[in-house]
Amino acid sequence: MAFFRDAKSAAFLAAILVALPFASSEFVAYQIALFLIYGIAAQGVALCWGRLGFLPLGHALFFGLGAYLFGGMLKGAESIPALYLALPLAVVAPALLAYVIARLVFARSSRSGPYFSLITLALTMLGFLAAQQWSGLTGGFNGMSNIPDIPGTSRYETLYWLVAAVAVITTLVLAMLAARPIGVIWEAVAQNEERLQLLGYATDRVKANAYAFSALLAAAAGALFSAHQGIVTPQAMSFILSTEFVIWAAVGGKGSSLGPLLGATVVGYASAELREQFLYWEVAVAALFIVVVLFLPNGVAGLLKRRADPRRSADSPAPAGQEAATSTAPVSLTLDGVKTAQSGVTILDGLSLALSGPGIRCVIGPNGAGKTSSFNVITGRLPLLGGGVTLNGHDIGGLSAWRVARKGIGRKMQVPSVFVDLTVRENLGLAVWAGRASAVDTLRRATLGWHTSLLAEILQEFPALASQLDVPAGTLAQGHRQALELAMTLLPEPKLVLLDEPCAGLSPGETHQMIDAIKTLVSQIGAAALLIEHDITAVDAMGGDVYVLHQGRLLDKGSLADIQASAAVRAVYAGGRK
Amino acid sequence: MLDGNILLHGLNLAYELATLALTTLGLAIVFGLLGVMNMAHGEFVMLGAYSVVTVQKLGLPLVAAVPLAVVVCGALGYVVERWLIRPLYSRPFDTLLATWALAMLLRKLVEAVFGREYRNVESTLTEPMMVFGSQYPAYRLALIVLALVVMAGLFLWYRRSAAGLRVRAMTANPVLAQALGINTRRLASQAFVIGVVFAGLSGVLLAPLIRIEPGIGVDYLLDAFFVLVVGGLGTLGGMFGGVGIIGGSQAIISSVAGQTSGYAVVLMLSILFLWLKPNGLFSRR
Repeated sequence: MAFFRDAKSAAFLAAILVALPFASSEFVAYQIALFLIYGIAAQGVALCWGRLGFLPLGHALFFGLGAYLFGGMLKGAESIPALYLALPLAVVAPALLAYVIARLVFARSSRSGPYFSLITLALTMLGFLAAQQWSGLTGGFNGMSNIPDIPGTSRYETLYWLVAAVAVITTLVLAMLAARPIGVIWEAVAQNEERLQLLGYATDRVKANAYAFSALLAAAAGALFSAHQGIVTPQAMSFILSTEFVIWAAVGGKGSSLGPLLGATVVGYASAELREQFLYWEVAVAALFIVVVLFLPNGVAGLLKRRADPRRSADSPAPAGQEAATSTAPVSLTLDGVKTAQSGVTILDGLSLALSGPGIRCVIGPNGAGKTSSFNVITGRLPLLGGGVTLNGHDIGGLSAWRVARKGIGRKMQVPSVFVDLTVRENLGLAVWAGRASAVDTLRRATLGWHTSLLAEILQEFPALASQLDVPAGTLAQGHRQALELAMTLLPEPKLVLLDEPCAGLSPGETHQMIDAIKTLVSQIGAAALLIEHDITAVDAMGGDVYVLHQGRLLDKGSLADIQASAAVRAVYAGGRK
Repeated sequence: MLDGNILLHGLNLAYELATLALTTLGLAIVFGLLGVMNMAHGEFVMLGAYSVVTVQKLGLPLVAAVPLAVVVCGALGYVVERWLIRPLYSRPFDTLLATWALAMLLRKLVEAVFGREYRNVESTLTEPMMVFGSQYPAYRLALIVLALVVMAGLFLWYRRSAAGLRVRAMTANPVLAQALGINTRRLASQAFVIGVVFAGLSGVLLAPLIRIEPGIGVDYLLDAFFVLVVGGLGTLGGMFGGVGIIGGSQAIISSVAGQTSGYAVVLMLSILFLWLKPNGLFSRR
């Protein structure tokens, strides 16, 4: 049963945590609870870092906010009992703050590199200063003290069970999410964010949601911390605590749900016990951390587990996509005087072309003519500096990559780009879910089994994909990768397909097969296609009109025979004029 | 005659900027030229300061701290670049974490050896002298002058010397530089060592002026990072601009509204730059 597989680690944790107070003492359990609390926050860090590939260096901000808010409300509730009802706010408000921060930062740049980490770090330090400064609210340097118990618990006895329950729940929820479509999407963000945007995923929102959820975990941990300690000082919001979360997540295993929790508990508790006894204990911890970073990218959990269980589910028909349902009008694309440049070099210099109705057209032109760049402008990878792009009469000029994809444009890259660490099945799944799966669908296991009639046809065209469904896409041969990316481009059933040299690197036999497949599949979804190709026999085999680009403009357009007869085209290709 | 008060404020500002420039320099080389986010930068400054502590404990003249810091930081820098940084060049997060771990290691090691308490270096250097009719510590004046000289020297070396050209080539396009016969691996190693030696030397210079304890590194690290982020990487002009903006706003706001506000403003400026202008003010891109 799938649920029991996800619940394995949580059940293991539950067994340990139930046995602990009986095996040791209530006092030890009380002490361990502190590190379980830290571990929950470390799980949040690991979610962003291990699954989505961006490192939050300032999670103590949300931990501290949760602690101050929760502690403050518990204190206030002693005189105003209505405040008990507001307690969930202590956890929700920091998560909202995290969401706003992440949306603002990620909307400006899809790069989730170290700059995001530094922003979160600086925010935490700002929070630390504020906590010290606003002593009226926070108690300043001395902290907010005399925080009462959470009603129904007592600090040294029953609070342990609440902490243990929360830890088991977070472990279970994280494991379940990772095994569902959202887990696939998270990993895809980490592996190739741009490819995911071309499928129509708003990756900045995906990241913001994950960051908010991880902040929720940190804030919940902070809330428990305030009840556990009875006092909250600015240290709960410090840079040092933030980095300890990161270390525990790294040592325990950033790609695991249970690892960071155990990392925090074992390393944190051992440090607390041994710090005073061995002079060089913390030096040893730092050395251990170096070893983990250099040699164990997935921490101790990565040592124990070789490969994640494949995510799959029983086949079920996918619902119709939002776009597919409305695509009754014949497709039309117009580029009108499009200009773009990069680093001061003009690439497209007033490119105008138009197409209307389904069918394949080829785009040819010498190197540097602007073929790939015109695709890049359409899909929002290069800035539109002049002119306009319209799809079916709607202006799509300058839209971001994922919005363009949602409008019904599919794009295949020149260098086949797939999600190398995901299985072929998961790669195909991402394309099937694009534009079809709602937020709720991405949380449901059944979505993993979605299939469409087009998918069946694709697997028939490319038996190599059908026989390697559970193989990581990175191990596919070049030809099969090209096939996989073509499949991913077509599966959302776009109205317009942009194919950038789909036959590059293929053998003559494979080229032939690829051309047949493209013709069959594109006509099956009734789409228009623009196809960049250098091989004139392939252009001939595709049929349809040919657009010739030269120096960022349209040089000529017509049937292949007309083009071959054109004096201007001949001059460009034979070097007659520059 | 200049108003003594204004002069004093001006000298204090110049002193703040000079120390900031000196402590940033090492990171400007390592982060700006090699792109290595060296989170242990501040710990090298700290090691420099502890070289002075060591020298004083042994009863040697304080100048002996200079060769000691060069040897310690240089050797450590070589080892770190070779076995910690080099395997991680294409993994920015891991570099950040590995050097953070190194910072912890150095901090805890110094803590275990020297203890956690504050130390002061006793020196006669901090005695005041007369400047345009005002009293000002001679050592601070010397630091200001030294900072200017070092900057000018570095600028000339970077723009005019053959080695500077090689470094610029490597920064602009490492693959092409390699194809042209530049040993980028060795050059990167040298640049890293020079960067951390600069950090160590700035620690030596600052030692008589600060309270020394194992945790001082973090503040130098963050200030240096913020300077480079605001100024933009890889240009000396950017570094000057960053020093001016970060150091200037911190000094001015601190004197008007207190230290905490000064620091808060620096943090906010840095966040805004990281968010809105991640390539810095003086970026070439």
